[in-house]
Amino acid sequence: MVICAMFLSLAACKNGQAQSDSKAQTSEQPATLYACSMHPEVTGKKGEKCSKCGMELTVPVKAAATTANQSAAPADAQNASPLKEILSGYLLVKNAFTADKTADAAAAGKALEATFKGFNKAALTAEQKKAFDEIAEDATEHAEHIGANGGKIEHQREHFALLSKDIYDLVKAFGSAGQPLYQDFCPMYDDGKGAIWLSETKDIKNPYYGKKMLTCGKMKEEIK
Amino acid sequence: MRKARLKKTAFVAATIFALIQFVQPARNQSGQVLDTDISKKVSVPEGVQSILSKSCYDCHSNSTDYPWYTYVQPAGWLMAYHVRNGKEKLNFSDFGSYTKRRQESKLKSIASQIEDDAMPLFSYTLMHANARLSPGEKDAIVNWANHARDSLSSKN
Repeated sequence: MVICAMFLSLAACKNGQAQSDSKAQTSEQPATLYACSMHPEVTGKKGEKCSKCGMELTVPVKAAATTANQSAAPADAQNASPLKEILSGYLLVKNAFTADKTADAAAAGKALEATFKGFNKAALTAEQKKAFDEIAEDATEHAEHIGANGGKIEHQREHFALLSKDIYDLVKAFGSAGQPLYQDFCPMYDDGKGAIWLSETKDIKNPYYGKKMLTCGKMKEEIK
Repeated sequence: MRKARLKKTAFVAATIFALIQFVQPARNQSGQVLDTDISKKVSVPEGVQSILSKSCYDCHSNSTDYPWYTYVQPAGWLMAYHVRNGKEKLNFSDFGSYTKRRQESKLKSIASQIEDDAMPLFSYTLMHANARLSPGEKDAIVNWANHARDSLSSKN
């Protein structure tokens, strides 16, 4: 479990997150510092709780040089940070909707469904697993529906709205695996009830209406 | 010669038809209201309950109402397939066992499927004319589903 957690944290570093890297590196006493297994950027003394998820800090933080060397191993990179894969899968779906491409959205939805089903939960604690499953069960279903409804973009988008909420909660609970994200809001969607989506770009590109109202919406939160 | 072959074919077909009658799929009728039933989770007014029962429960609950022709195969197999699929997507008898998140998204999907006339399935209402929803019944279901969803999400 600790080893897997290490993989996770290593991958987060490898993925070139300036913020998390610098935070991890500023810790100058390697022996006494521990990081959260899900949020490598959160460090503290042994026994302290992570400020993001409340989990105990269990991963000893090594000197930055060692970390860099280890993360070069290809095997690590492959298993590492599956949430990253979920996020990039989600962003593919999102980008298909921004471009009004229903068939691409369906293909990306199917891929995301497979990613969810193949998600390796070995690195999660029992509590985290429960939290993950609760969200993933719902998200998988929405990905499946997006995948199965190519040609019916409005129906796909309804599921995308619910999927977006799931992914947002997932990111809130488990971090964004080094991917900087923006939570955007479209106030018009769903008869004025509004819906959120996550984007990797700061510019607004509305996935709910596509080119009809591409730049409509506003950024609500920057997630690092 | 030709007539003989026709006779033979008819005989084979009749035999197959007779034989498949022995393969009766299990009936989807539990006959009891479980603790996980949707009515134990959110309030379901009587009017809404009766619409759900007549138009949705055949495929989306543990109590299917079987018309006579489903006792003749392969109609019963087709029905069993529809019921299995339907229950997998949404089972009102099992609703309480879903996570809160899934309950909310199911209610949301119920409203949008009804609004879009995607449910009940056309192939189903073709055979079950009384399952067709009137505009008033549609409104009742959509309002109920939206309301139930709001009340669920306000409970934390």
